[in-house]
This record gives sequence, C-alpha cells and structure tokens, in this order.
Amino acid sequence: MIRRLLAALALAVIAGSAAAHKASDAYVTLRVAGAEVSARLDIALRDLDRDLDLDADADDRLSWREVRTRWSDIAALARAGLVPIADGAACTPATPGNAPGAEAPPALAMHSDGRYAVVRLSWHCAAAVRQLEADYRLFARTDPTHRGIVRYARDDGPLQLAVLGPGAGPVRLHLPGPPAVATPAAPDTAIAVAAAGAQALAASPAFATVRAAQATGADADASSGPAAFGGFVREGIHHILIGYDHILFLLSLLLPSVWQRRREAAPATGRMHTRWVPATDGRRALAGVLKVVTAFTLAHSITLALSVFDVVDPPSRWVESTIAASVVLAALNNVWPLIAEARWKLTFVFGLVHGFGFASALKDAGLAQGDLVSPLLGFNLGVEIGQLCIVGLVLPLAWSSRATRTYRGAFAGGSLAIAGVAALWLVQRAFDLSLIAG
Amino acid sequence: MARAATLLRGLALATLVGWPAAGSPSSFAVDAGPAIPARDDEIVERLPAHVGDAAQRRAARAAERAQRARLQAHPDELGLALQAARDALGRGRRRGDPRELGTVEAVLAPWWKQAQPPPEVRLMRATVHQSQHEFAAALVDLDALLALPALALQVRAQAELTRAGVQQVLGHLAEAEAGCRRLAGTAFIALGDGARRNALACLAELASLQGRDTAASAALARLANAPSTDVPGDAPGWLQLMRAELAQRRGDPAAGPLFAAALQSDPDVYTRCAYADWLLDAGRPGEVLALLAGHEAADPVLLRVALAERAAFGARDARTRRDTRLLGERFDAALLRGDRSHGREQSRYELDLRGDPAAALRLAQANWRVQHEPADAVALVRAARAAGRDAAADEVWRFLHETGGRDARLAAGGAAAGPFLPGPTAARDGLPMNGSPS
Repeated sequence: MIRRLLAALALAVIAGSAAAHKASDAYVTLRVAGAEVSARLDIALRDLDRDLDLDADADDRLSWREVRTRWSDIAALARAGLVPIADGAACTPATPGNAPGAEAPPALAMHSDGRYAVVRLSWHCAAAVRQLEADYRLFARTDPTHRGIVRYARDDGPLQLAVLGPGAGPVRLHLPGPPAVATPAAPDTAIAVAAAGAQALAASPAFATVRAAQATGADADASSGPAAFGGFVREGIHHILIGYDHILFLLSLLLPSVWQRRREAAPATGRMHTRWVPATDGRRALAGVLKVVTAFTLAHSITLALSVFDVVDPPSRWVESTIAASVVLAALNNVWPLIAEARWKLTFVFGLVHGFGFASALKDAGLAQGDLVSPLLGFNLGVEIGQLCIVGLVLPLAWSSRATRTYRGAFAGGSLAIAGVAALWLVQRAFDLSLIAG
Repeated sequence: MARAATLLRGLALATLVGWPAAGSPSSFAVDAGPAIPARDDEIVERLPAHVGDAAQRRAARAAERAQRARLQAHPDELGLALQAARDALGRGRRRGDPRELGTVEAVLAPWWKQAQPPPEVRLMRATVHQSQHEFAAALVDLDALLALPALALQVRAQAELTRAGVQQVLGHLAEAEAGCRRLAGTAFIALGDGARRNALACLAELASLQGRDTAASAALARLANAPSTDVPGDAPGWLQLMRAELAQRRGDPAAGPLFAAALQSDPDVYTRCAYADWLLDAGRPGEVLALLAGHEAADPVLLRVALAERAAFGARDARTRRDTRLLGERFDAALLRGDRSHGREQSRYELDLRGDPAAALRLAQANWRVQHEPADAVALVRAARAAGRDAAADEVWRFLHETGGRDARLAAGGAAAGPFLPGPTAARDGLPMNGSPS
C-alpha cells in the first residue's frame, strides 16, 4: 500500500493514518426550564489531558487523584466551552464553574472509548427562554475536528440532537414547545436532526442509558442507591425464570426428591435390585431438597462472585456447553442413577458452572465499575428468590402426586425429554449452531 | 460411581483454575451513569503511551508540552508550526488516533483556510484530507502543488507520492503508476537513494495490483535484501509490510513471518491490524488477542479483537458481546459526526459480528463507490456472497478484470487463485465465517 510509503520518505515525515480511534466527541445533555438552562457535559479525559496537562507524574496514566485535584480547571474549561444564548442574550452562570463541590461532586462516566469527566453546569437567563442558541467553543484552539454531540430538550420533552463544531459561533437549537419559534435551516456546522432522527438515535445502544435515565426522570445517574439494588434483584429473578437451562437443571434434581431408593427382591426372579418408591418420611425428603438448593446456591454464588470480580473468566462457549451437559447428566441420573442419595454433591459441582452463566447475564445488565458488591448481592438475591419460587411451586405438587402412576410416568418421560432438549443445547452451544431456542 | 466422582471433581477443578485472571478493568459493560472512583490512586484512564522507558517517556511528554508552549507564544512562526504538525502526524500514525489530525489543523490554523497557503502547509493539508478519506479535497491541493513551476524538490517528491497513494486507493492505478514513474526519474536523483527506493517500491506495488505479482514480489525482495546506501540497517518495516501484503494476496504462507518482521520495526496500528487479519484467516485467534492487547483504543484494533474473541470464545461470550457492543457505539458516534470513512470496517462488523449481510452489503457497496483497494474488494465480495446477491459484486470482478488484479482471499477456500475469471463456482462457494481481512 503506497500510503505506507509516505512515512518512509525521511525528508518529510508524513503519514497516511487511516481513521482509527474514535474521534474526539463531547456528549452534552442540555435542558431548558423557564429561564433556567442546565447541562451535563461528558468530556474525554484524553482531551482534557492535552489541554490541561492532567498527568502530573507523566506516567501516561491518569489516576483519580490527578483528575480530582484539577477539577476546578476542568469545570472552568467546560464553562468556557459552552455558552447558551437565550433570545439574543448570553445567559449568566448560575453557579461558579470553579467552585468544586458547589453543585455536583467530581464524577466520571464510561463511554465507548474511555472515561469522561462529568461536569454539570447551569445558567440563569434574563427571562423564560423562547429561542435558544449555543455558542460551542470546547477545544476550538487545540482540535478543530472535535465535535459536541448535543442532546437538548425543553423541560422533560423528547431530546433533540445537534452536532456542533467548536468555534463556529452561535448555532440555533430548535426548541420545541409553545414558547419556541420555529426557524428553518440551521447553519452548516450544526446538523439539526428532526424528531424522527432523534428517535432512531435513541434506539441505538449508545443512547440506551440516556433513554433509561429519561424513563426515571433522572439525569443518568441512577447507578447506585436502593432503586438500582432493586433493579438488580429483579434482573436476578428475571434471569432464572427465563433461563430454561437453570430451571430444567433444578427440576431434574427436585423430581426424585419425593421418592426414595429401596433395595428389594424382584417378585418374579427373587434377585435383589434397587428401585424408586414414594418417600414416606416428609422431613427427610425436605432435608434432601434443602441440601440440593443450598448446594446450588453456594456453588453458583461462589463462581458468580469470582467471575464478577474478574478472578476467573472462562469462555462462554465452554460455560454454556457445560451447563447444557449438566442438565443432560442431572436428567439421565434420574433414569439411570449414578448418584441417587447424595445429589447435592452433583448439584454443587455443576452449580459452579451455572454461576458463570449467571455472571455473564449480570455483566450484560450493565455494571458500572466501582461498586460491584451491591449489584452482585442484589442479583444473587433475585436468583435465590426465583429459585425458591420454582421449588415452592414444584415441591407441593410433586409431594402430593408422588405415589401416582402419572408421576412415575412424568418422572421417567420428563427426565428423558429434559435430557434430549439439553443434549440439543449442548450440540448447538458447543458448535455455535442454532437448532432450537434457548 | 467412584470414577464419576473423580470426573466431577476434575471438572470442578478445571472450572476454578482453568483460566487465568482476566483482570482488565474494562471487562464491564459501558455505562454512561456517572460514578465516583473509590480510591485516589485508582487509574481512571490510560493515555496514549510514549515510546521508551519511563525517563524517555517523561522527556517526550515534556518536549510536547514545551513545543505547545512555544507555539502558543509564537503561533505565526511557520517553521515551528510545521514541525509540530509533522510530530502530530507521526504520533497519529503510530497510535491510529484521528485527534492528531485535529492537532495538525490547530497548529496550522493561521494558514489552514488560505486559498494558496505555503506549499508545506498545503502538502500537510492534503495529507490530513487523505487521512480523513476526503480524497477529492486532497487531490485539489496536490494537483495545485505539482502544477507550481518552482517547488522544493522534497515537497514535490512527497506530493507525487501522496498523490500516487490517493490514486491507488481510488483505483486509478494507471494514474498512480505514472506518478511513481516520474518519481523514479532523473528529476529526483538529487534526493538520493531513499527517494529512489520509495519510487521503486511504489512501482512494484502497482505492478502487483495489476497482475504482475511474481515480478513485483521479486522486485520487493531485491529492495529488501539490497541495503540502502542512505539508511543503513535492516529492511524498513514498510517494505516488509508491502511484501507481506503481496504474499497475503498471493496466498503465500511467507506472509506470516513478513508481517512479524514489519511489526518488529514499525509497531503501528496499521501493521498490527494487517497482521491480525492474516492470523484470523489462518485460524489463530489466540495470537491475535496477544498481539492487540492494550491497543483497543483504536477502532480497527477493537474490531479485530472482537473477531478473535468470537472465534476463540464463541459469539455468546460476554467479552465478544461487550466488544461488539462497544464497536457499535463507536460506529454510531462516527455516524453522528458525519464521518462515513469506516465503511469497510463497519461492513465487516455487520457481517461477521452482527450477522447482518444485507447491512454489510450496503456498507461495502457505498465504500466501493469511493475506494478500490484490495481489502475493499474483499469486503464487497464477501458481503455479496453472504447476502446471496453475487451480482452485487460484479463491479469488483469487472475492476479486477480491467486491471488484471487478483487476490487469493477472493477465491473459494482461500487457495491461491489464477487470473480472475469469475466463474459461477468461485462466486457461489461460501467463505469461512471467521475473520476475513478488511
């Protein structure tokens, strides 16, 4: 590729660098309420370091201390980078941008290419805002290719989108609502996107969190506190109830618990053999169930924690396949018992693998780095609740019908069916095929 | 029973110790909710690394700062600004960071918007436009430069070479070859051996793209083995890279060691990704992950990481899904700012990671309208095949037929292909799912 040659000419070091990193963007959410304008600016630490030299010890890494102690400079830079203009007059800062702690504490947010400083600003305008313009100047002197991705709304209305280049002068933001005056054709530096565009955008994963924040009416910081904890509990319940593999695993282990093994002579031949008979001792059956449930809980809690704290992180193909295999084995164990009485041991071993499965669901639910303990506890609690629901539902039914011919039939047939389904899962998970759902 | 228990114990052990700690702080899903780091010494961002040991890195950083300070004091000093621009381009190439293109524009701001800037600035502007895939704008400046009667020989040589690079990307191979032939002529003899070697390599590359690949391969090997009289030492990385890419197009396994040699002397993002593509095709995803670890900030690197994770861990693995999602967010962000230069890579993302051949085909077609590099051809042919619309790639076959180009990656099964006669067999055969280069 000739482009590469350019670097080689020692006379002038000019290189074709194909577009590569994500370019520099800042994410701005701006809301207008009466005469008040408030904004959250997410600015990349990478960009801030270039302008403010945050890396005090020059080790090419930013510690939280290096960022936190320079927060007043960061806030001042943000403050100078965005000026709202209401009906022709610049609004005045409502809080001094260089007073750390005056409003929101210094905080960071993760975006697709790294961490961003989250700065909150607010302004006071002369009167209720009718027409709004934004004078965006962030990094105008150091990176003209920087863009401000601005989402804005009046009150709690739907967010609209504008992409602002720095230093292009005031750009009209088309505020909806009765007080706003509609104007045609934005300047070419602003790509004002109509409602449809903004909706399409809202459907993209990048803005999923924004949507979530809108739903709660907060400004995207519902990542801690009781609401978030409850969310993780619900997530845990949801996961076990829709996770057929976990349910079938538990079911396979619970089905024989209302029976016991009895060694007896076959009436015809007189040879001794062992077979399932309905349990007579309710307390002993319950103890068996408790052992199984406890073993499962302990085992999956261990690996869930190990995985969430990144101690071990096995490939999901392996995890998912082994979970399927565990269902096959547990179901076949009912028909041809290898481990009849001490099923809790089997449960414990395979419960370890199920824990890795739960972990990937929890990671999908979106963990913010930092506080891992409360999501983990919440999610695990949810899993246990879901699991107890299943036990509470299945056990009384099984107990009351344990002596019937139907139950015996359902036990053998059901176990074989479960083993069959799980065997299909095993094949498709191990070889990345899609044969059946699940 | 005992054997089963042993087996189970073995499984449990494998579960717990079988995988090394993942340990990367980024293994959690992106969450735009702000968070406050728990500890002051927590590393919240890794900045683009400087080269060398700790002291050298510190010195490099200090030099950058000093340069910026000097420029701030004397923004109109052309020599100073040009040096800063060259340094920024060099960093941008090494790290694959488009921010540096913004730095170039910023330091050259006093001249950037002029109709007739100084030739060095104009050359730099063309290079930035080329890197941003603004090929028409780049050609305007380059043609204007080359039309100047009096132009420093070095600037003229670089302009010729840059123009040849742009013409090659656009698929104007004859135009590109004419430029390299001029560069190899007597007019540039004063520039010495280095410039001549560039011209010869350029001619060889273009010959290889027009079906004369045996001769081209020999010519590049001669250049690599005959030491330069100007620059002592081993064959430079760019030359080994050219040889590697040619071997790859020919389906020659020698490509692997050549890529490794290129990377050794020039560990930039482009070389890294090119080698990763070759390894992915060779079914060696584990090596890809080792090769790319720590460079995920660059979008093309993240794409290869996700492809390798998919191949190594499975499509459902949390890591595969996380990186696929991150990549999607970065493409969304690029789209927001109106950057459509990622078509080739985005097409591969849609095809191999999201499994949407129709979207992949749209992107590859749009990309092919602009660029005609070998990887662009591969992208369109693969997407068309996967979408079941072989005819959509007819333009590629026509182009290859006209230029005489050939590429083993376009042949079924990856075996070396003869001259292109797009028979129905070649077109109908599927490609391996994992990691064809783009």
